[in-house]
Amino acid sequence: MMKKIIMICVVAIIGLSTTTVKAQKKSMDEFAIQVDGLGCPFCAFGLEKKFKEFKGIKKVAIDIETGMFTFSYPSEKKLTLVDIEKQVVKAGYTPITAKIQRADGMVETSGVETKTINENTVLAEASITVGGNCGMCEARVEKAAKSIEGVASAEWDKDTKLMTLKFDASVTSTNVIEKVIAVSGHDTKSHKADEKTYKGLPGCCHYERIQ
Amino acid sequence: MKHIHYVALATLFFFSCKDEMPKEWVLNQQLKIEGVNPIGITEFNNAIWLSDGDHNRLVRIDASGKIVETIDGFERPMHIDSDDTQIYVPEYGSDAVINVKGTERTMLQITDSLDAPAGFSIYKTEKAIADFYNNRILYNDGSNWMSFGKEGRAHGDFYYPTDVQITESEIWVADAYNNRVQVFDKTGKFLKVIGEDQKMNAATGVFISKNEVFVTDFENDRILIFDHEGVLKQELSDKVEKPTDMIIKDDTLYVINYRSGYLNAYEWKEAEKQHLEETHHDDHDH
Repeated sequence: MMKKIIMICVVAIIGLSTTTVKAQKKSMDEFAIQVDGLGCPFCAFGLEKKFKEFKGIKKVAIDIETGMFTFSYPSEKKLTLVDIEKQVVKAGYTPITAKIQRADGMVETSGVETKTINENTVLAEASITVGGNCGMCEARVEKAAKSIEGVASAEWDKDTKLMTLKFDASVTSTNVIEKVIAVSGHDTKSHKADEKTYKGLPGCCHYERIQ
Repeated sequence: MKHIHYVALATLFFFSCKDEMPKEWVLNQQLKIEGVNPIGITEFNNAIWLSDGDHNRLVRIDASGKIVETIDGFERPMHIDSDDTQIYVPEYGSDAVINVKGTERTMLQITDSLDAPAGFSIYKTEKAIADFYNNRILYNDGSNWMSFGKEGRAHGDFYYPTDVQITESEIWVADAYNNRVQVFDKTGKFLKVIGEDQKMNAATGVFISKNEVFVTDFENDRILIFDHEGVLKQELSDKVEKPTDMIIKDDTLYVINYRSGYLNAYEWKEAEKQHLEETHHDDHDH
């Protein structure tokens, strides 16, 4: 009887160790996301920490200087670029570019789409007030503005809170731009961010609301 | 003899009439700490130690800013502190406080779970931890742990506390994203708030000396210096870039700059006349 029990234990241990080896050999996809505005170590390490909560995530690394955030994840879970970018945004950050090196060698990339504007177009210029605090705010509001058809450039100054715009006035307007920026969580003089979106911003982005 | 008295009186009169310049912290030296993005600073065994969060290590530097000792293998070490025997390292990444004593490392036993400890303070047998994501302070009076604070904007609440310091009667907290310092008694009762009117943007570090309260205004690249009642005494902004922490050692104020990696050393001395005139002019402007 004792012999049988020992034999069962040995077989079970071998079975378990084989499973462990198989798990270790599991193929992994490599992810690299450039995140803008990671100047504050508390926020950057926070992003890293929150991603570490994903079951199966490995080799999480973050470079604050370049904003490059990298990790590997099991291929079988088929994590997509959209999933990753959504997760970064959900955590309150702004993804700039993303790249997946699949275990089978395939490469997928995404980045900020630049809207092409005819070079003969006469561009209107305007300045609008946008609430915000830090480098992360800067990345978020500029990305929101640049995503709009007709916007050639958008630069926000965190000290003056002014965003300087160049845009095709036949395609868009400051009203539309302000509305899109407000959707990203940042007040403008004409459009206010939703309270829930504002509260969802990282701590360092909680600017003084524009009345 | 009468003449001697006249000379002595005249000399006394001359010196008493001479303008005595007020003293302030004046930048004396900038030391480049190569390859370090410092977050915390402490004095241990008469030497300066820095936590290098980006590179997961502690470094000891000499008087010229050169790294003379490195201890690797931490998970995002933050605002460190020390006593006579060891350095206490709150690890943001592992949710633990590590006691470093020579080559030996042990984990501080806490009866509660942390979520990203960002600051630690030791005072005699008392300990305190700034528990970042839990928006609270854990305090040990030498025997038992207690905690106070919750997420919020009201006095007594926190919005991501990043640093803490215990003094004889109080607990001072860098309430980072409420942009202020809050002061509590040792039962966790709110006493006062400092710097709320200074439009700080991320008050990430705090240091309390006998008469002053030093606060890092991280995003605005400045150090604000208050008295213990919260009256602003001085602002340091020249060559300050993303400051995270400071200490006073041998009468020198050391400020660490996360972005540039520089250690700024300030001396307490008479302000330059020109600077005072500028300050005076500014006062009129306001």
